[in-house]
Amino acid sequence: MFAYAVRRTIGSVPTLFALTAITFIMMRIAPGGPFSGNRRITQDALANIERAYHLDEPLWLQFARYMWGVLHFDFGPSMTYRDYTVSELIRAGFPTSLEVGMWAMLLATLTGIALGIAGALRRNQPVDYIAGALAMTGLAIPIFVIGPVLQLFFGLQLGWLPLTDWPGDLAHKIMPVVTLALPNIAYVSRLMRGSMIETVRTNYVRTARAKGIGEWRTIVRHAFKGAILPVVAYLGPATAVTITGSIVVEQIFQIPGIGRYFVTGANNRDYPLMLGVTLFYGAIVIFANLLTDLARGLLDPKVSYE
Amino acid sequence: MPFKNRLFAAAAAMLLGGSLAGAISAPARAETVLNRGIGATISTLDPQVNFLATDGFILDDIYEGLIDYDANGQIVPGAAEKWDVSDDGLTYTFHLRDGLKWSNGEPLLAQDFANGIVRTIDPATASDKAYIFTTTVAVVGAADFNAGTNKDPASVGATAPDAKTLMIKLDKPAPYALLLMSSFYAPPLHKPSLDKFGKDFIKPENIVSNGAYKMIENVPQSHVTLVKDPNYWDAASVKIDKVVYKVTEDDNTAVKLWRAGELDLTIDIPSEQIDKLKAEFGDQVHVSSSTESVYESFNLKKPPFDNPKLREALSLAIDRDALINKVLKGGYSVNCSYTIPIVDYDAPKLPDCAMPKADRVAKAKQLFAEAGFGPDKPLTLAIESTNSDSPKKMAETIAVMWKQTLGVDAKVHAQDRDSWLAVFSAGTWDVFNDDLVGDFAGPESYLSYMDPRAAAGYNWPSPAYEAAIDKALAMSDQAGRYKMLAEAEKILLDSYLTAPVAAGPNRHLVRSSVKGWGDNPPDWHSSRLMSIGAQ
Repeated sequence: MFAYAVRRTIGSVPTLFALTAITFIMMRIAPGGPFSGNRRITQDALANIERAYHLDEPLWLQFARYMWGVLHFDFGPSMTYRDYTVSELIRAGFPTSLEVGMWAMLLATLTGIALGIAGALRRNQPVDYIAGALAMTGLAIPIFVIGPVLQLFFGLQLGWLPLTDWPGDLAHKIMPVVTLALPNIAYVSRLMRGSMIETVRTNYVRTARAKGIGEWRTIVRHAFKGAILPVVAYLGPATAVTITGSIVVEQIFQIPGIGRYFVTGANNRDYPLMLGVTLFYGAIVIFANLLTDLARGLLDPKVSYE
Repeated sequence: MPFKNRLFAAAAAMLLGGSLAGAISAPARAETVLNRGIGATISTLDPQVNFLATDGFILDDIYEGLIDYDANGQIVPGAAEKWDVSDDGLTYTFHLRDGLKWSNGEPLLAQDFANGIVRTIDPATASDKAYIFTTTVAVVGAADFNAGTNKDPASVGATAPDAKTLMIKLDKPAPYALLLMSSFYAPPLHKPSLDKFGKDFIKPENIVSNGAYKMIENVPQSHVTLVKDPNYWDAASVKIDKVVYKVTEDDNTAVKLWRAGELDLTIDIPSEQIDKLKAEFGDQVHVSSSTESVYESFNLKKPPFDNPKLREALSLAIDRDALINKVLKGGYSVNCSYTIPIVDYDAPKLPDCAMPKADRVAKAKQLFAEAGFGPDKPLTLAIESTNSDSPKKMAETIAVMWKQTLGVDAKVHAQDRDSWLAVFSAGTWDVFNDDLVGDFAGPESYLSYMDPRAAAGYNWPSPAYEAAIDKALAMSDQAGRYKMLAEAEKILLDSYLTAPVAAGPNRHLVRSSVKGWGDNPPDWHSSRLMSIGAQ
């Protein structure tokens, strides 16, 4: 299994290189540049800025310079947030995105699995309908609606929860975490329900039942392990997305994470920032997928990495 | 039971120690804190590089320029207590106050201001606002120094003959130069800390500043904290002890934070909320004119827009009153001049605005026909706009008005700001949903931008306009200069190179407990002028 993990890690290098190259090219195709926003600037002043950021060099040299930096874990200076390097921005913001994202995923996984199992075992009964309705609500209402509604109701109307002010105590984290978790709760619970319904019909679960070990133990010890597989496959990439921050949740709750950089980096033509967060995100997705596959190896006897 | 006793003793000691520490550190009065929303994330707090108005709020609190602005945006003495201007308008001499200090207690010298200007135009600084000293206020030698053709900083006409005197020599008169000597453009530079820390000289742990406040904390994407600086010359009259600038990227969230009492001031108000907030909070909702002029530009290089009759017809077909007061709202006001309303400046106006609707429409149709267009030869055009809410709405409404009045098939291309500017530079556009934010609230800022020699990209040859601008800028007396500038603006308006539409808004929520706030077009609001009283 260790050898497999090493092989996969080495195999991800060309992927990341391709990701960087494609992002680099796409950013440069977009019209405008990072310093084109000031229309009164003189040509000399603009030339000075472009020289300072090496934008006057041929593209291949800029790309080579960037890749050389990446090999040394230097993602270059941000062209929008000029007081910081991209590495500094990621280092400052990622722990926050990670914290919110991990709590959200933990909440989503536990609640989603519980709702899913409840729905599967009490199919077409009130529990199932309520779980289903909750899930559909979570999927149908976008978080840019859920977030402000929660703020209005629990923050302003009832005054129970603070609106923002990150970092704060637990109370400050409740609304952003719940907002970010809701769509995932919905998804996980639907996946879990469907998969559990299928699994309880399989031969091995029927065998377990036939042995007379009791319904609860059959579900927990036998069916659960098989039914959780699709959820695990979903959780890998979903966690990667969630812990790298959500621009919507970060803006609504004023959380200083890195999610907004994907949007502001592109809008401001901040080439190094955009490349840096894309590369960082790519690495996390690859890592999350690796973990997912390893977890499948542990859970599914049909999968082996030896 | 020794363990229990030790625990008890420790608890008692902690309690005692805690209360003692509390007693010693308890301030004589409660600390006053001002929480200000700053909008999008800070770009840079490097005083010689920053070009964003929002970051300028913070910089204005931590640096003081030669002059300052009062709450109404009028010039008052800053670090310089007085100044003289030579008769030819080419030499400005600033006399600094006695006993000025940096936040670390070192004396603040006239040379520090000269160093600030030199660093702004130093090619290595790569500053957006270098142009202020190379063209707007053309300091002697600045253009060459910025272009790198002369590398000697001593060649720049910003010098300090003694510790308290700063001399700025100009290539050509710039009678508005004083307006640009505030903290935003001309902050001093503490060279020893720049030499020691390089780019990091503005990090809270390293910064040495000369304003009413000093920065103690800067968390990216979150907040910047300032505290009162006892070394500031006028510290005695600074009322607020601590200012927290909070990043508020979402304006709707900012409004909620203000409602919840977590913000005292907001950077903006979403247009659609203004009426509702006004009904609820009355005069805590501040909406006034900004220095933004909003207009439609026509591409003279692209037929048929080289035809002045067509341009005039299109301008006449815009129902500005309906566009601004019924559709756009949000604090925009109808503006029929290229410049925004400026005190003492009697701006010429487009005749379009004063015409009764029926006459205006009839004349638009007539000129449109004279330009060769009509039902059998319809005009097709595209309006290039940014995808921000208000500009997009404006462009879409104008497209509908042109369609209804003249039968023009007008499409709106809404795009992000960078793409929008790229289309402009490429020169492929028909009509540009345009705007200009003045560097200062004077007609010179707007009219010199449209000077064909400034090569702003409008391809408008006009020797008459150039002559009028030159003549105006050579006049040091404001009344005469403004009169001449109005003549220049008349030439611009008559050409219908642009169709002025509106003046943009400044929109802020200001808690009633905040005193000393004044609305002014350039939107200067120093925290040192404010205090916090009863609600």
